[in-house]
Amino acid sequence: MSEFTLAPTASTAAPTGFSFDLTHRNALIESSSSTSSSNIPAKLPKALKTGTTIVGLVYKNGIVLGADTRSTNDTTVADKNCQKIHYIAPNIYCCGAGTAADTEKTTDAISSQMELLRLNTHSESRVVTACTLLKRMLFRYQGYISAALILGGCDVDGPHLYQIYPHGSTGKLPFTTMGSGSLAAIAVFEEGYKDDLEEGEAVELVKRAILAGVWNDLGSGSNVDTCVIRMDGSVEHGRNCVMPNEVGELRKKVRRSDVLNMRSGTTAVLGETFRKRMGGGVTLEDVVVTEMET
Amino acid sequence: MSILEYNGAAIIAMTGSNCVAIASDNRLGIQYQTVAMDFRKIFRMNDSLYVGLAGLATDVQTLDQLLRFRMGLYELREEREMSPEVFTNMLSNLLYEKRFGPYFAEPIIAGLDEKNMPYLATMDLIGAISKTKDFVVAGTAEGNMYGMCETLWKPDMEKEELFETISQALLASVDRDALSGWGGVVHLITPEGVTTRHLKGRQD
Amino acid sequence: MSYSTALPTHHQTHNPLTDAYHGKSAETRHLKPNELSTGTTIMAIAFSSGVVLCADSRVSTGTYIANRASDKISQLHDHIWCCRSGSAADTQALTDYVRHYLGQLAVETGRVPEVKVAAHLMRRLCYENKDNLMAGVIVGGWDPVEGGSVYNIPLGGACMSMPFAIGGSGSTYIYGLVDSEFKEGMTKEEAVALCKKAVSHAMSRDGSSGGIIRTCVVTGDGCEREYVSGNRLPYGPAGW
Repeated sequence: MSEFTLAPTASTAAPTGFSFDLTHRNALIESSSSTSSSNIPAKLPKALKTGTTIVGLVYKNGIVLGADTRSTNDTTVADKNCQKIHYIAPNIYCCGAGTAADTEKTTDAISSQMELLRLNTHSESRVVTACTLLKRMLFRYQGYISAALILGGCDVDGPHLYQIYPHGSTGKLPFTTMGSGSLAAIAVFEEGYKDDLEEGEAVELVKRAILAGVWNDLGSGSNVDTCVIRMDGSVEHGRNCVMPNEVGELRKKVRRSDVLNMRSGTTAVLGETFRKRMGGGVTLEDVVVTEMET
Repeated sequence: MSILEYNGAAIIAMTGSNCVAIASDNRLGIQYQTVAMDFRKIFRMNDSLYVGLAGLATDVQTLDQLLRFRMGLYELREEREMSPEVFTNMLSNLLYEKRFGPYFAEPIIAGLDEKNMPYLATMDLIGAISKTKDFVVAGTAEGNMYGMCETLWKPDMEKEELFETISQALLASVDRDALSGWGGVVHLITPEGVTTRHLKGRQD
Repeated sequence: MSYSTALPTHHQTHNPLTDAYHGKSAETRHLKPNELSTGTTIMAIAFSSGVVLCADSRVSTGTYIANRASDKISQLHDHIWCCRSGSAADTQALTDYVRHYLGQLAVETGRVPEVKVAAHLMRRLCYENKDNLMAGVIVGGWDPVEGGSVYNIPLGGACMSMPFAIGGSGSTYIYGLVDSEFKEGMTKEEAVALCKKAVSHAMSRDGSSGGIIRTCVVTGDGCEREYVSGNRLPYGPAGW
């Protein structure tokens, strides 16, 4: 314990929530190029979007969620194997489409609220609670937080599946799809969904729906992630359970040209410095401990 | 032209066997006018953690100051160094707080974790984290760098080969990008320490 | 003498949440990009001992049907329900608020809330937030004071008590039909049949309405929920 290890008091605690400090500056940047006096570029950068296929369905004994794993920045694939199925509670998970940061942070915030609620009430989380918290938050921000979600889980009332739109509207459905690949995926569901599917059939249908997005939607791609939430409370993650686009093995078979192996001394170096690792940051050994005068 | 391309930047980070490297170019420009050839875009957070910031120079420097401040506070409070994982989450939350008025900078985080395993992460300007096992790139030469890295990178490179690979990937990329270049700098992070090398590159 | 009150532009406060829709009233404002709309046909009829509420089930984003079997009839209290049209997000939030306040009121007064009170709660929220809402609501229900009653709350936040009400984009197609077929003092069966007939006609002409027909019959004895599936509509591809 050091004298710096003070708990923040209420008056000094940093304010929470969004900060709008830079919005005015950024609006100026955006508007300045239209005036001839300045030549600052106007276009404000776009945040990472997950052009996505996400799906969910109710089966005999619970919920199956599915997602692809591509994340895009404009037309560039920014991440070839990202995770779009987010944790909400031990019995509730949520697929996210839209702006990557929004889906990530929104589900994070709600999952922490759910945990606090669980600790306060000593009871298992309910899916409606998560749905209500999410829709309230999204409605408050009037669609500016662009998170399109599929929320699924099992609680005392049985399995539940919700779709939640960025503006804060929700729907309770037996099966649903969202994201740019939702049209391809819903076609598979409309053709193959039946009430009370067996778990194996349900997982296969979800995989087929995601693959429809992976192949037919340019915003979706790479692998299939699934998540099965059963009525007995068990959860099974199928991270990368289908990998139709894996190139690792193929690349190993290709004889790599020796030109691509960089030999020592290829690069012209102007100077070099070495900084030895000290390690540990400031530890007790680094400071002189003096007895407190009492 | 996007505001992220106002000053120009090219940053790459790559993993090797028990080591990581992070490299950037040296140019600071105002659109097509070059202003400085020794502009720092990679910042040391601690002995085994470096962060590269590509984007609007004013926000790059503001973020560096903010991060240094928070690192100092954390080390004083916790009496230990911040792990790359914690650092990534801290930076992500820092950026997302400004969701509706963001800093125009895309960070790349390169370091060694508690077990000296390579750690690489990147995020967009509002803090959407993506972690990779191979390489990450950011800046105006992004497309070029993706192409070079996809071609040159291979798993488990030793320290010296990693240096040559990341250097060649960077230099070849910036030679085809008007907004970045003027030589580069590479930091090779190993459990023993960090080797920093300045690269000779085209001056046009 | 005159003096300028104009502020330099940088003194104007920016609110990123409202700027885009600044200066537009509820009537002229359109849905935001990608916002879900219950492009809808809804109606309610008061009959001798209660009301019947009726709605189609289509929810769309542009030309895409986001939900083909949604429920646009929401419960506000034991014997008070409403039909929603307009923005799905806005009307869901509104009904959530009204349900909350109505529940609180019922507990505090220890009485069954009147339909009139529910309608005026809804009207107040719609009127005071008219610049930020896209919501047309029909409130209907039963209470011991007035029996069955129907209140129409269109876009601007007015509140009209009427023997029957229709709303949503599909309603324009069935004004004439309902006007000619409606008569005072209908039985429950007559009212339900008229609702189904009118809504099925609207669904066949209005591209934003479709799916199935959902009904809710409210009397002093309770509420009965029913639906007519898409292949059993009284009028339409399967029926004529």
